Amino acid sequence: MRSMLAELIAGSAERDPNFLALSGDHGYALFDPIRSRRPEQFVNVGIMEQALVGIAAGLAKTGYRPLVYGLAAFVPLRVLEQIKMDVCYSRLPVLFIGDGAGLVYSTLGSSHQCAEDVAALRPLPYMRIYAPCDAYELKASFEEAMSCAGPSYIRVGKSDRPAVNTAPLTATDAYFTFDPGLAADTCIVSMSSMTSVAHAAALEHGLPSLSVFRLKPLAEHTLGLLARFKRLIVLEEHSRFGGLASTLADAFIDEGMNVPGMKVLSLQEHFSEHCGSYQYALSEHEMSDADIVKRLRTHLAAAPGY
Amino acid sequence: MGGSAPDFRPATLRRHVLHMAQSGNSQHIGCAFSLIEIVSVLHSAVMRYDASAPGVPGFDQLILSKGHGVMALYAVHRELGWIRQSDLDHYFADGSLLHGLCEARIPGLEVCSGTLGHGLPIAVGMAYGHKRRGSDQKVYCIVGDGEMNEGPMWESMLFAAQHKLDNLVVIVDANGLQAMGTTGGIINLEPFAAKFEGFGFSAVDCDGHDLAQLGVAMTAAEPGRPHAVIARTIKGRGVSFMENKIEWHYLRINPQLMERALVELDAAEVAS
Repeated sequence: MRSMLAELIAGSAERDPNFLALSGDHGYALFDPIRSRRPEQFVNVGIMEQALVGIAAGLAKTGYRPLVYGLAAFVPLRVLEQIKMDVCYSRLPVLFIGDGAGLVYSTLGSSHQCAEDVAALRPLPYMRIYAPCDAYELKASFEEAMSCAGPSYIRVGKSDRPAVNTAPLTATDAYFTFDPGLAADTCIVSMSSMTSVAHAAALEHGLPSLSVFRLKPLAEHTLGLLARFKRLIVLEEHSRFGGLASTLADAFIDEGMNVPGMKVLSLQEHFSEHCGSYQYALSEHEMSDADIVKRLRTHLAAAPGY
Repeated sequence: MGGSAPDFRPATLRRHVLHMAQSGNSQHIGCAFSLIEIVSVLHSAVMRYDASAPGVPGFDQLILSKGHGVMALYAVHRELGWIRQSDLDHYFADGSLLHGLCEARIPGLEVCSGTLGHGLPIAVGMAYGHKRRGSDQKVYCIVGDGEMNEGPMWESMLFAAQHKLDNLVVIVDANGLQAMGTTGGIINLEPFAAKFEGFGFSAVDCDGHDLAQLGVAMTAAEPGRPHAVIARTIKGRGVSFMENKIEWHYLRINPQLMERALVELDAAEVAS
C-alpha cells in the first residue's frame, strides 16, 4: 500500500507540473520516488502542521494542486480548523493524506494513534473521505480524489495486512469482497485496515463481506447492496463515534429506510493503556485479529447469519 | 467603479466605517480605524491591481489576516465599486452580503480570518506560489499585533524566510491593544522589528497613520528577504473618544456619538 502511495505521488508529479507534495517533515521513505524523479515538486515545509495547511491553501489559490501529508493524528486532527476555514470554506483542491490511522503506531503511544479522523472530517462541507484497505482501493481513491475539484482526505493505514483485491478497481463504489449468495441475512461491512479481517471472517462463516471505502459522499449503491440483509456486522479500526457504523446508520435514516440491527466492532472509548505490538494495542479494545475471530464466532453462534 | 474615481482619503474611509457600524449596530470600529491609513496607502500608491474588479489574475494581492478590521477594507471596496453602497446601508441585515469578520466568499477578501493566525500562512503560500512560477506578483498581508500571539504566524514566517519570499510584505497593525488589554501587558512581543529580523525578515517601524511614511516603509523591501512594516497605530484613530480605548473594540455607536465623530472627521479633513 505504501509503495503504491509513493508511486501515485511521484506519478502525479510527473503528470501535472502543478502537483506539489507537501509534508510536515514526515514520510521519510514514502517520498523517495518523487524526490528522485521530481525533486522540485516535493516540499518539506518543516514541523509546522498548522502553517502547512495554510501554505497549501495559498498554493492552491495560486493554481497549484497540493497534497498535504501527515500522520492522521496530526493531519487532520491537529489542524482541523485550518482544514475547515483555509481549505473547505473556499473548496480548494487540496488532497490530505492521513497516514498511520488507527493504532498501528502502537509502541509510540496515544499521541501517534488516531481513532477519530473520519469522525472529525465528516461534518466539514465539501470534504470527500476515503478509507481504503489495500493498494487497489488506495489507487481508486487517490485517482478519484485528484480528479475532483474540492478537498479530499484519504485515511491510510499501515497495518500491512494481506491485500483483498488482486486487480485494479474501476470505481470507488462499495463492493462485496466475498458473496456466497442470497441465503445470508447477515453481512459483514468494513473499511480500511479491517476489510482484510472482515474478508477472512466472511470466508470462515460463509457470509458476505462488503467493503465501503468512500465514506463521504457515501459510495453509491451501498444501501442498495445492504438492503437485503436483516443484520450487519461492522468492523472498523476507528472510534464508534462518527466512523463507518455511524455513517451507515445516518445513511439509512436519511433514506427513510429501517436501520438494520448492527453489531459494531470498533475502538473503545479509551486511550492505549500499555505499550506493545499493534495486535496488542488492538487487544486493549478487543479488536486484535484473534479477538475479532473469537468475538464473531461467539456472536454468530448465538445469531447465525442464515 | 460607481461612476467616479475612488476616494481613498482616510476621512472618507472612516465615514464609511462609521456608517456601516451604525447601520449594523456593529462592534470592531476601533479595530478598523487603526488600519485605515494602511489600506488607503496600499490601494492608492503601493499595490498594483486592476481596479475594475477584485481578484484579477496577475496582480498584487492583499490578505487581511486581522479579520476584525474588515470594515476598513469594505470601505475601500465601496470606493472601488466592488461592493455597493446598499451593502453598507444594510450591514448585518438579514440576508445581507457582508459579515462582521473577513470571509473568503467576498471577492477581494481572499481568506477567512475571523479566526486569527490563518491569513499569514495563506499569504505565505500564495507568495511562495508566485515565486515558484517566477511571477513578480507581490502579496501584502495585514496582521494584528495581538494576532501575533498565534503560533502559525511565526511558523509561516520561518517558511517565508527559508524560501526567501521577497515578494511578501507583512504589515503589523501595531495598535498596542488586544481584546482584553494591552499587548505589552498580555504577551509582550516588543521589540517587534527585531523579532521579525531574527526570523529572517527585513523590518522597519513607522507611523502607521502617516501616509508618506507608510508608503516608504511598505516599499523598502530588500531582495532575498520577506519584509515587515511595524505600523505604529492607534486603535480608534480619528475620533478622539475612541482613540486608545479598548472598549471601542466592542462598543456600538449611537446617534449622539455618531454626530460628534462625524464633526471630528470633518474638522480633521479641513485642517489637513
